[in-house]
Amino acid sequence: MKVKTVELKGNKGVLKIEDTDVYFVNSLRRVMLAELPKLAIDNVIIYDNTSALFDELIAHRLGLIPIPTDLQTLVFRDQCKCEGKGCPNCTVRYTLSKEGDCVVYSGDLQPEHPSFAITENTIPIVELMKDQRVILEVEAVLGRGRDHAKWQMVLAPRYRMETKIQVDKKHINEVKAFVEELPKDLVELKGDKLELKDPSQKSILESYLEKHKADYISITKDPSKLLFSFETDGSMSAKAALQESINILAKKYEEFRGLLKDL
Amino acid sequence: MIELIIPVRCFTCGKVISSLYEEYKKRYEMYQKVIASGQKPKETPKEILDDLGVERYCCRRMIISQVDLLKEAAPYE
Repeated sequence: MKVKTVELKGNKGVLKIEDTDVYFVNSLRRVMLAELPKLAIDNVIIYDNTSALFDELIAHRLGLIPIPTDLQTLVFRDQCKCEGKGCPNCTVRYTLSKEGDCVVYSGDLQPEHPSFAITENTIPIVELMKDQRVILEVEAVLGRGRDHAKWQMVLAPRYRMETKIQVDKKHINEVKAFVEELPKDLVELKGDKLELKDPSQKSILESYLEKHKADYISITKDPSKLLFSFETDGSMSAKAALQESINILAKKYEEFRGLLKDL
Repeated sequence: MIELIIPVRCFTCGKVISSLYEEYKKRYEMYQKVIASGQKPKETPKEILDDLGVERYCCRRMIISQVDLLKEAAPYE
């Protein structure tokens, strides 16, 4: 197996994974979606809400706000020493109090501790007209993507197989005529090979191939060469999310191996 | 997608698009003004979305099909 980092900066990650099986990368993708824990607002106590949005809608919007998560310092609420009552080890609290003629942003959520300040602070929660007020208290806890989409940190993890475009050499003249019909800068004909300038435009080439019934050109996918890309919503960096997902996957296999020993 | 206010995240992939929406709206209204006066616009909605970093079409449809009805509903609470 070979792994080459194309990009792993900030919230974006693109890896080139070669000489491995698709199901292995797929299990990584599934862990990223469903098992990676992160903080999200789970309890909302509303003291005053005279805005145009009803209580549950504001609570729903608050739940979707990404909160920076440090997994080393937090535990799940049901596994905490406080037995689910809520203490600084498992729960992060914020308050919000704003009055009229303004837009309430996610940055207006005041944390108990400045280290938990919300980084994505331009998310509009609700718009208040004159004399409208919103006063509330929220609690954020750890959760996993499989329980609710608000706890899903990784956005659109996906993998794509490398494509090889093969050209039938006996029909090279028809190939050249076909390339003339394509939009400029889509493909490049190098001798007897056709290369896509931008691999993400493959579907455009495929639609042209179908239209012209060009069976002298064939596109084959190589399942041993994959381009794995993902994005995070800001609660963790892409590198940390990748490392944590790999740890979770390894722990699952270790647990399974331990159980198999007893058989 | 008609909502009172822009949904926080894209329904399909989960990307936070509400923080990009205000910027899009400002630039889109500029585009509309320029079109209405009959001139050639500096940037089309496609270019605005590309510049804001909205790649996938699931996120793009969230932004371009948004209708803000909050101000209409506000007097009736």
